[in-house]
Amino acid sequence: MSSGLFLAIDVSNTHTVLGIYDGKTLRHHWRLQTDSGRTADEYGVIVQSLLGGVGNPAIQSIAVSSSVPPMTQIIESLCQTYIGVTPLVVGPGVRTGMPILYDKPQEVGADRIVNAIAAYERTRDTTIVVDFSTATIFDYISEKGEYVGGVIAPGLGIASDALFDRAAKLYRVELTKPKTVIGRNTAHAIQSGLIYGYVSLVDGLVTRIQKENRVKARVIATGSYATLLAPESETIDDVDEFLTLDGLRLIHERNADD
Amino acid sequence: MLLAIDVGNTHIVFGLYQGKHLRHHWRLRSNRATTADEVGVFLGRLLRGIGNPSISGVAISSVVPPLTQVLVEMSQQYLKQAALVVGPGVTTGMPILYDDPRQLGTDRLVNAIAAYERTKGPTIVVDCGTATKFEYVNGAGEYLGGAIAPGLGIASDALSERAARLHRVELVRPPKVLGRNTIHSIQSGLIYGYASMLDGMVARIRREHDAKARVVATGGFSTLLVPATESIEIVDEFLTLDGLRLIYERNIGQ
Repeated sequence: MSSGLFLAIDVSNTHTVLGIYDGKTLRHHWRLQTDSGRTADEYGVIVQSLLGGVGNPAIQSIAVSSSVPPMTQIIESLCQTYIGVTPLVVGPGVRTGMPILYDKPQEVGADRIVNAIAAYERTRDTTIVVDFSTATIFDYISEKGEYVGGVIAPGLGIASDALFDRAAKLYRVELTKPKTVIGRNTAHAIQSGLIYGYVSLVDGLVTRIQKENRVKARVIATGSYATLLAPESETIDDVDEFLTLDGLRLIHERNADD
Repeated sequence: MLLAIDVGNTHIVFGLYQGKHLRHHWRLRSNRATTADEVGVFLGRLLRGIGNPSISGVAISSVVPPLTQVLVEMSQQYLKQAALVVGPGVTTGMPILYDDPRQLGTDRLVNAIAAYERTKGPTIVVDCGTATKFEYVNGAGEYLGGAIAPGLGIASDALSERAARLHRVELVRPPKVLGRNTIHSIQSGLIYGYASMLDGMVARIRREHDAKARVVATGGFSTLLVPATESIEIVDEFLTLDGLRLIYERNIGQ
């Protein structure tokens, strides 16, 4: 069945992640910096060389989710010129199989719908997705598989950058979990505030969403800080670093059925 | 009257005390390039506006080193007072069990002193300012340490600056936790997210130290966040000024 491989491209504010699927199996994945100042040719050269490194697999189809509008055109053009495939760009008009109960459905970033689809596919039940990227994004999916709404908080990375830029006496620390919540030196105090503070933010929001909707939802986390924060969390059930890529694969399958 | 000056990363707050009572307070943007003369003119104007009360003492807490000297000079030249600057050598009445006490930001110590004065028991201070700071004082009145997280304001600025599709929102409580549009979703993440951070940290500190610790909140965002929390009972916008007054009293009493 694997005469043709599928390439999923997830463009977020900080990184652009590429994944090659053979059927349902993720064979290769790479992470690039998102920089809308780069050209399609610059990205094309990088992608060609990455594909060359794994034996130039034949890509038959591509799906893209982009939360950075100026990057969408760059990626489309790179796919056409360097891979010879017109990508499916997730957005209005693309069949997702998930009803969106947002005031203005077009306002929900593509990555959020893609994550919601991938998470619901696993749980088939009420689900909360927590995506730790530039922003920390929460999405709530009903038991029937409807996208109901969400919450957007500042991400751990940008908030900690802001702390070091704006507070005169504080310096950058390594993001690791300290032994205790109360720190006896400044580096320890900052590590505690970042790690336990952020875990508290996540657990508290998840608990508030569950209470407001009178449900116990399954909680799936993804994004760059998920592996760091999830072990401390009292509410996160599973972590999947490649949830967005998997959602792109599902949407691609649903649209290829025609 | 005592003039208490709290120099933070965002604002310089001036408080004028008659005995234990805060009679007047003013707020000035914390501009690292400002001079003693500029601050002197600003403060002189404000003091004239309330009938030029006589200032008998000045106490300063500063987390912005270049501004400390500016305010000391201003006190000397415009108020004819040698300011008491909270730092090593100043009697505070609170043992500091920090690895290196000199590393501890003076605002954190001053807040801890003011909060413990109210509770006289195990106390958690939550300061919702440029940074969100947590302090812990045990039942014996010893400062044990704390935690420092990004503040609501700088985190919200970072979100609108760094995420391509998100714009700045008004900082108010949305109708529900779960948002059905982008503005409500961001308001929820900021207000309920930060309130959750405060509640979660308080719960973790209580678990680690003392389940009965009381919580005192202060800082510019405290009036917005505290009503959305479940664990904070006491809010005092002027906790730092009050701590400066206490430290001043402990030092002139010697």
